[in-house]
Order: sequence, then C-alpha cells, then structure tokens
Amino acid sequence: MQKELKVGIGDMKLSRGEGRIITYALGSCIGISFYDPAIRLGALLHIMLPARFNASDPNVFKYADSGIHETVRKMAAFGMVKSRTVVKIAGGAKMFEISGNSDFGNIGQRNTASVKKVLLEEGLRISGEDTGASYARTMYIDLATGDVGVRTFGRPERHL
Amino acid sequence: MKLRSYDDMNLQELDVMREIGSIGTSHAATSLSKMLQKEIRISIPQVNILGYEEAVGRIGDMEQIVAATLVKMSGDVDGLMLFLFNLDFANTVLEKMIGESYEGFEAMDELARSALTEIGNIIICSYINAFSQLVNVDIELSVPSATMNMLGAILTVPIAEYGYETDKLMYCNADFVMDGKQLSDWLLMLPDIRSLNDILDKLGVS
Repeated sequence: MQKELKVGIGDMKLSRGEGRIITYALGSCIGISFYDPAIRLGALLHIMLPARFNASDPNVFKYADSGIHETVRKMAAFGMVKSRTVVKIAGGAKMFEISGNSDFGNIGQRNTASVKKVLLEEGLRISGEDTGASYARTMYIDLATGDVGVRTFGRPERHL
Repeated sequence: MKLRSYDDMNLQELDVMREIGSIGTSHAATSLSKMLQKEIRISIPQVNILGYEEAVGRIGDMEQIVAATLVKMSGDVDGLMLFLFNLDFANTVLEKMIGESYEGFEAMDELARSALTEIGNIIICSYINAFSQLVNVDIELSVPSATMNMLGAILTVPIAEYGYETDKLMYCNADFVMDGKQLSDWLLMLPDIRSLNDILDKLGVS
C-alpha cells in the first residue's frame, strides 16, 4: 500500500521521496502543489480564503497569502530551491450560481487571483492550472514523479 | 453583539434553535407529503454546531456525490439555506413524482434535476415560512440554485462565505420515514452572526 497523506481544509502537508499527498473536494478553495524534482520534495497546500486580515489568527494555512509564505518557508528549510520548483494550482470553482446576485460565490475567483499574485511575489511560476468552472476537484501530487492529478465528478482525470 | 460565533451558543439558545428547527422541519415534511401524496413521518430533529470536517463525516464522505439546493436569505435575516439529497432520498422522491429512479446522479436528465431543485426549494421555503412567522421576521428568498457534486466542496460554500466570521456550520437534520423507508434529509440553516444574534434577541433568550 502506497503511503498517502491527506490534507484537510486550511492545511498543508509536505513530504519527500515516495507516496502521494492528496486533498479532497476543492470547491472554491484552492489546492497548490509545490515540487522540487532535484530532491523529490513536495508539498500540497489547501487554502480557503484570499488573505489573512487578522495577524493573530493561528490558522496560517487557511489563507492564500500566509499559507503560501509559510509553505515556501518550510520547503526552503528542507532544501527547496525556488528556481527549480514546479507549482501547480487547482480549484477556485463557483459551486452555485444565484441569478440576480452575481457577487455571491465569487470567492473562488478572488482566491485564484490572490494565489497568483502571492506566487508571483514569491517568484514562483505556475506551470499547470485547472481553475474556475462550477465543479469540485480532488487533487494529488505523486512525490516520486511530481505528477499532479485532478479528479472530478463525471469527467476524466486530468494531469496538470 | 453577544455571540461571535455559532460556537458561543449556550444550551438554552441551542434548545430554542432546535425547537424552531423542529417546527420548520415539520412544515417542510407536510409540504413534501402533500406534493407526493404520501404519509411522511419525521423523527425529532437535531440541531448541531459542527466544524467542517465533522459535518462532512456526519453526512457522508468528502467525494460522495450529492444534490444540493441553495437559497440565499436577505431582509431581516441574512444567510444561506442549503438542502442536501443523497441518492436514496432523491430516488424515492423522483419515483413518486416522475416515475423514474436512477442509478446515479450522473444518469439524471434535465427533468429529474429540475424536479430535485424544486423539491429542495419547496422544503426550504416551507421551513422559512414557519420560521419567519414564529420569530416574526421578514425574510426574502432568492431563486434557488442547484448543483450535483462532491459533498466536501458543497459544504465549503457556506464556510468560505462566512470564513472570516466563523468556521462552524449549524445544521438541522431529521429522518423522514416514507413507506417504511428511513430517509435522511440534511437542511442547513446558516444565518450570519449578526442575524443569529437578532433572532435570539427577538425570541428573548439572549
């Protein structure tokens, strides 16, 4: 049985070598995978909201800005080099469309924009992306190969 | 504002929400029963305040496919109402309504989907009617929006919407018994924190 780490909502896991890291049912949330192929170090972060406004909130991984900064910091401590790190993102869907209320449920779009902005600030390039639309995604990263898969309901599995 | 999160409710306040929930649920069951012309019995509803992962665990699992109807409340109470069907419940209802049952949600056609949306809407509306009469508030409801997808992602909708206020969910759940078959329904009433305080104030419990 292959080693599998599960990442909950507003959480992050990192590991190295083999097995995979998975996060289930991303709706408006975003899954961000980081992978440094030279040392086979990978991380998967599951953020829920675009930005942390309350600096004393201990849930750093719940927010795009603090979550990405903290993940990058931890990965760097394990030897990650930014220039060779592969970053992929999935999620940011709009699960419900309410007619006459277009603002509702735009959180997915705001999350996507925030994640992209923060990654740019960190100097990380996104090399694969599956965001938007109106369906949920389960995302995993294979630590041996860096392969990132996205599973959805009623559609074939995609590899980013 | 006394309450800062759903979590802050004390036992008495929870009891009041449970009582209201039970009246709302019985109204919802009555409309469903009229529509399907079937006797429906309900168990005593429960009201629970749960974290996201616990809530998913109670209902099913993350990747389980469910149908959901969502209605937004505005007016005196702001918030969301969410009704979830599992396949069993959906099929029992669809069999009565359109004489069809399906192997899975993906097999459902447009007719089945809109029937489910409408049932969800009727259940939510009768719940809210009972609720607003009881608490004496005016609540406007948006047109229903529906989806069929992974449970985990559907439950993040209210959490993301109120993520800066609370990371808990409040849900009412009662078992419906129809034709001797027990069916679980999941109704989530999610007023924002200001509205929750208002409701409890109006009822004189806070």
